[in-house]
Amino acid sequence: MVAYVIRRLFQLVIVLLGVSVITFAIMFLIPGNPAQLLAGRNPSPERVAIIRHHFGLDKPVYEQYLLFLDRLVHGDLGESFQFQRPVTSMILSNLGNTAQLAVSAVLIELLGIPLGIYSALRQYSFWDTALTTSALIIWGIPVFVLGLFMQTVFGLYLGILPVSGGGGRTFLYVFPADWTNLSVLILPAVTLGLIEVAYISYMQRASMLEVIRSDYVRTARAKGLPERSVVLKHSLKNAIIPVMTIAGIDLGALMGGAILTETVFSRPGIGLMIYQAIGARDLPVVAGGVLFATLVYVIANLLVDIGYAYVDPRIRYED
Amino acid sequence: MGDAVSAPSAPGSQASASLPAGDVPQTKPLGLWADSWRRLKRNKVAIIGLVIISIFLVIGAAEVVATDVVHVNLAPYNPNAVNYKLTPHGLGSPPSLAHPFGTDYLGRDIFSRTLVATRISLLIGIIAVAIALTIGLALGPVSGYYGGAIDSVIMRLADIFFAYPYILFVLLIMTVLGPGFRNVFIAIGILSWATYARLVRGTVLSIKTMEYIEAARAQGASDLRIIFRHVLPNSMAPVYVAIAMGIGGAIVTEAALSFLGIGIQPPNASWGSMISDYLSYFFAGRWWMELFPSVALVLTVFGFISFGNGLRDATDPKLKE
Amino acid sequence: MAERLLDVKDLSTHFFTHAGVVRAVNGVSFSLARGETLGIVGESGSGKTVAALSVMRLVPDPPGKIVAGEITLKGRDLLALKEEEMRHVRGNDIAMIFQDPMTSLNPVFKIGDQIAETIQVHQGKSKREAWQMATALLAKVGIPDAERRVNEYPFEYSGGMRQRAMIAMAISCNPDILIADEPTTALDVTIQAQIMDVIREMQAQYQSGVIMITHDLGVVAQMADRVMVMYGGRTIEYGPVDEVYYNPHQPYTWGLLGSLPRLDESKKQRLTPIKGQPPNLLLLPPGCPFSGRCPYEREVCRGAFPETEIVGPEHGVNCWIPLDERLEIRANLPRFAARVA
Repeated sequence: MVAYVIRRLFQLVIVLLGVSVITFAIMFLIPGNPAQLLAGRNPSPERVAIIRHHFGLDKPVYEQYLLFLDRLVHGDLGESFQFQRPVTSMILSNLGNTAQLAVSAVLIELLGIPLGIYSALRQYSFWDTALTTSALIIWGIPVFVLGLFMQTVFGLYLGILPVSGGGGRTFLYVFPADWTNLSVLILPAVTLGLIEVAYISYMQRASMLEVIRSDYVRTARAKGLPERSVVLKHSLKNAIIPVMTIAGIDLGALMGGAILTETVFSRPGIGLMIYQAIGARDLPVVAGGVLFATLVYVIANLLVDIGYAYVDPRIRYED
Repeated sequence: MGDAVSAPSAPGSQASASLPAGDVPQTKPLGLWADSWRRLKRNKVAIIGLVIISIFLVIGAAEVVATDVVHVNLAPYNPNAVNYKLTPHGLGSPPSLAHPFGTDYLGRDIFSRTLVATRISLLIGIIAVAIALTIGLALGPVSGYYGGAIDSVIMRLADIFFAYPYILFVLLIMTVLGPGFRNVFIAIGILSWATYARLVRGTVLSIKTMEYIEAARAQGASDLRIIFRHVLPNSMAPVYVAIAMGIGGAIVTEAALSFLGIGIQPPNASWGSMISDYLSYFFAGRWWMELFPSVALVLTVFGFISFGNGLRDATDPKLKE
Repeated sequence: MAERLLDVKDLSTHFFTHAGVVRAVNGVSFSLARGETLGIVGESGSGKTVAALSVMRLVPDPPGKIVAGEITLKGRDLLALKEEEMRHVRGNDIAMIFQDPMTSLNPVFKIGDQIAETIQVHQGKSKREAWQMATALLAKVGIPDAERRVNEYPFEYSGGMRQRAMIAMAISCNPDILIADEPTTALDVTIQAQIMDVIREMQAQYQSGVIMITHDLGVVAQMADRVMVMYGGRTIEYGPVDEVYYNPHQPYTWGLLGSLPRLDESKKQRLTPIKGQPPNLLLLPPGCPFSGRCPYEREVCRGAFPETEIVGPEHGVNCWIPLDERLEIRANLPRFAARVA
């Protein structure tokens, strides 16, 4: 097990290095005039010169990259030209909101697990068909369209929930501590969660169906084990593994900012920060946000893999 | 109890009696595609998806042919024709006989706009996937077939591309490249290759040890020829599924990009940009502007996803009867 | 006369699928006594596995259903039992081992756990006791270093070891009957013999009856006391092994035996596979399922299934060819010319 973890950590470092290279290439090698791009909108020539010097753009490429990498390793993601603020600090101040949304959405999507299992056990029943069809429909709805729908129904017509905004107090960054905080959390979290519940219940159903038809479940029945044990012990552990990994990866992805959701609901967070930066062509913020999100995503993937290997011992021996 | 689980039908891989059968009526042994097609037909949702996709594809194709080839307008009105008379107080007019989808805040006919946007959204989806496929189908089989160092390098590269959260990656590239129709499908296409590469590599790995590959090699076929003439065509089943899902995904991504303002720019319009554009009017009660592009988008994506899922279920060897 | 354990009469199991009704098992009868081994022989699709699953009432429903017949275990009508009661029979009175031990064992649980749980469920032992018994069982089936192995996962075992583990699982509750469905098909030839030995030993120890399902006549010759030949869902010949092997009456049986290479013949022997394809179970003729493929077929064969004809001590055959004709045809077959008097 330990050997597996070490191997994965090693891979992680390589991947992160690769990410830094590619991001560097995107930021500095693709554009015709990277200094111009990094300096922001309508920069003055002096500003461009400062940027050029800051990133060492007159130096050879590999030196530029090393400079870039050095900064990254020290947590320096550059500075927003709009706000003249270090990107890292911007990210940290938005992190709480994003984390709250991410955790809530994932908790909601975990409901897909019992839904999928139930559906698999009652295959071809009315419930099963209903669930699968609605899952397919909902899964395909782009999140901003669904968000719109939610805002209309709950915000405009029913008027019970705010359609935008942030704020309020939290407990441990993630738990709402007052109604304001909770009320602005509900719609975005449910929107995100709903689409994922559709996906997860569909996947869980598929996984469960496969497991139920497997040879080892047949063996379990042939041994005369009670159905409860066949389902809960033998089937569940195998069926849930792929779905738990989906949920874990989702959490990692959402921690990088659910940009579409935060935009639709005007909810402060890393996503909204990036959106706003795109409009203003504030490349350092966009790149910084993406790098942060990627780091979190990669780490989340690693943790999920390790969890997977813990539960399914075969994985420890593969590569 | 059907014990005969057939592998993807390839010459020589079926061990069946070659002696003539008696006069007992035999059902024809089903090839891979006949069986899959039969299973697919039974999946009503997938068929609905296929119908939806076909409808939109026909619309899009008709649009392209009409506008670019025959130089005729398919849409009843010019999608960009501003008409202030049709937008009292700058708020557009609701659906009517003359304008079945209504008009937007500039008096433009929404039906025509939605129609023309079909072409853009579909084209982007298809071209983006085509680009990703080209790269993926070049690198994937090579990676799987040769294994070793080449495989490691290509797969590491794929890992790196997978490391980024997808939409943010696309956003980053778009920020650098700038918005616009062409950059959208380039960005989506270049970033999606890894999915197809990894998929094909998987099937290649299982096929490359089969006998008919040995046979081809024994006949002196070059590696390249083996890869692209023998191995690849038989590895394609999961790829078709990925293509269907991929086009659906690309359309959603484009819609998201346009929604965020960094995709299709005016005067062009895609469903995503229309949704973004009409947002404030929607909250002011002018619901029709937002509704039709949204429905079009959701339907199209649903179509691709359902069909893709149906295709996956139909070609899954484990579900064969 | 050994105790009669199992009595199956006129069993029919059909599958109701989209493509039609698959008559997997049609009017099959057999019995098993304590301490004896019954071999059920047939090709893929002959219905032998479905017959076994029917006895265990493990046929997936839908689409399968036991549509007719009687199954009696030591006088108890198994088909009349409630599901809960049947559950107590499975793994306890009748145990089954399957063809592919890799997929038949749950990959995420330890071997010890999978053996112990059966003991816990049927014998009410504590977890610790059950695990101890599991370790002892592993040792008994010949797994070295059982103390350590009991804590391992299936993928850490070799193919032969996994099958031994499955046998251990099956005998853990001293079943009266052990059903082995092609237990060695997925294994190396060298391991096959070992596994057969283990099964034989366990049978001797527990005095259980064994139903050995296989397509391999060699296995039947080694292991079985009696044999039943199945084709297209029906029994077409049955009897003591020596009887059937030396005095076969069904053309299909001739084909099966004829396709075996013989060590005592000259090197120039040709293997004669049976001409034709296995039957399509969706379109079975009402008569003999071998019709259409049988080289000695008569007109009557397709239309109706022949009654069982006794041709030797406890030896029955289903064939429309009259006895004397059969003997004549057989006498002229190259295979049997030397053998049969």
